[in-house]
Amino acid sequence: MTMVGGGSSIGQYYPAPSPLHALDPRAKLLAAAALVVGLFLVDSMAGMLLVLAAVGVAAAISRVPPGAFGRLLRPVLFIVALTALFQVLFSREGPLLVGWGPLEVHEGGVRTGVFLALRIALLVTSAALVTATTPPVALADAMEDLLSPLRRLRFPAHEMAMMMTIALRFIPTLDEEAQKIMRAQAARGADFSEGGVAGRLRAVLPVLVPLTVGAFRRADELAEAMESRGYRGGEGRTRYRELRFGWRDVATLGAAVLLTGGAAAL
Amino acid sequence: MRLELREVRHVYAPGTPREVEALRGVSLGVEPGEVLGVVGGTGSGKSTLAQHMNLLLEPTSGRVLADGRDARAMPRPELRRKVGLVFQFPEAALFAATVGEDVAFAPRRMGLAEEEVRRRVRRSLERLGALHLAGRSPHALSGGEKRRVAIAGVLAMEPEVLVLDEPTAGLDPATREELLGAVLGMRGEGRSVVFISHDLDEVAEVADRVCLLEAGRVLACGRPEEVFYEHPETAPAAVRVAREVRREHPRVGRPVRFGEVREALRGLLSGG
Repeated sequence: MTMVGGGSSIGQYYPAPSPLHALDPRAKLLAAAALVVGLFLVDSMAGMLLVLAAVGVAAAISRVPPGAFGRLLRPVLFIVALTALFQVLFSREGPLLVGWGPLEVHEGGVRTGVFLALRIALLVTSAALVTATTPPVALADAMEDLLSPLRRLRFPAHEMAMMMTIALRFIPTLDEEAQKIMRAQAARGADFSEGGVAGRLRAVLPVLVPLTVGAFRRADELAEAMESRGYRGGEGRTRYRELRFGWRDVATLGAAVLLTGGAAAL
Repeated sequence: MRLELREVRHVYAPGTPREVEALRGVSLGVEPGEVLGVVGGTGSGKSTLAQHMNLLLEPTSGRVLADGRDARAMPRPELRRKVGLVFQFPEAALFAATVGEDVAFAPRRMGLAEEEVRRRVRRSLERLGALHLAGRSPHALSGGEKRRVAIAGVLAMEPEVLVLDEPTAGLDPATREELLGAVLGMRGEGRSVVFISHDLDEVAEVADRVCLLEAGRVLACGRPEEVFYEHPETAPAAVRVAREVRREHPRVGRPVRFGEVREALRGLLSGG
């Protein structure tokens, strides 16, 4: 019988005593954003290698096991490989390197192919660095804080962040519930290894229906519990964990911006 | 069918920091036609034990035997049909549009003829006093009604061993009494019942034998009067009363059920 994965794959937060974990989540978010912008501005191999080195150093400092990044990269690896291959095979830029019938590999193609692959891989890795070193709730707080200037334009920053926090909080709960229901249905003879569309549907409905019913019930209960504790939205709400932007955060952000500028200029 | 667990160990999440040894070598048997009560506090391993009885969980080491044969060699659908497992809060898995359809799920999966399916749905709902609910939506029922329907959904497989994990948790007294009555009725048909509960009073009322589980180990297994009188810390209210009286009046004996204690005390009072 197949079971839903053990929860460690979602959320992706790896607690570790690293300087990267200790940074203000806003600094990490902004630094990652700067890096992403940089990745799109870079058009020299030297610049790309500079970013690669920086991300590599950050990953090493983070003490997140390299395997964790590997697992994250695996799903996009196919797309990366495919786009790189297309570039290599169909670009006719620069001098011809290898020619084999209608297939021609030009230097420009190889260059863009490698570039594209590195760009996507670094993009995913820098995003993963943020989520791996920041607890989801802190991340949501940081988003709320960064989006709060938009409140003047009536953008519901607090509500967005609260929704994100709640959604993240309930992923493991729902996962556990799904497993319980699957086992209960397996005890009644449900077979989750059945093939075919009809078989899959037959197996999935007895799990999906109670899971949805349960999720709605939970949502009701949560709303009531929040209201009974006086929750009235973001206005005038204080936080248990205040975010503090220290000199390390300024330094990190500065370094990220400088790096981006430098890499783009190279 | 005779179900037996031999030195069953179960470790959750082995090799990770969250590793927990939930069962540490549990051996016990369920004889045909008996009600075996399994009692123990939270975290004693009761629910883990329950899921080993139809191999929804496989033992890390040790064996589960069905009529002396290793249950792992049995096809899972057959094993799960013969050993019906009712989870804690089984109503969380109700899904069909009507109660009748939901109860029919298991017998349909067994590939029975439609006529037989209908017969089983009717019988198992009747057994739990829920036949009048057959046309209703399971999601619109009261908590007690849902529980009865969910148990009927497992009973419809007509299992030889019925494993009930905390079947009365959160029920009102009337529904609970009715459910306990239904459990005793099943024994009358030669089925065995494993009744897992932390409520000593209700286990005392229904069990022919009792196993005491603590921290993943079987502390004691035996007739209710043996287990309850030899382990005073896990005695139902009726036994606690009788034990106090017994210090001065040994004639009270070792009654376990509420009715037995009442009769023993009555005899004591009228006999002077």
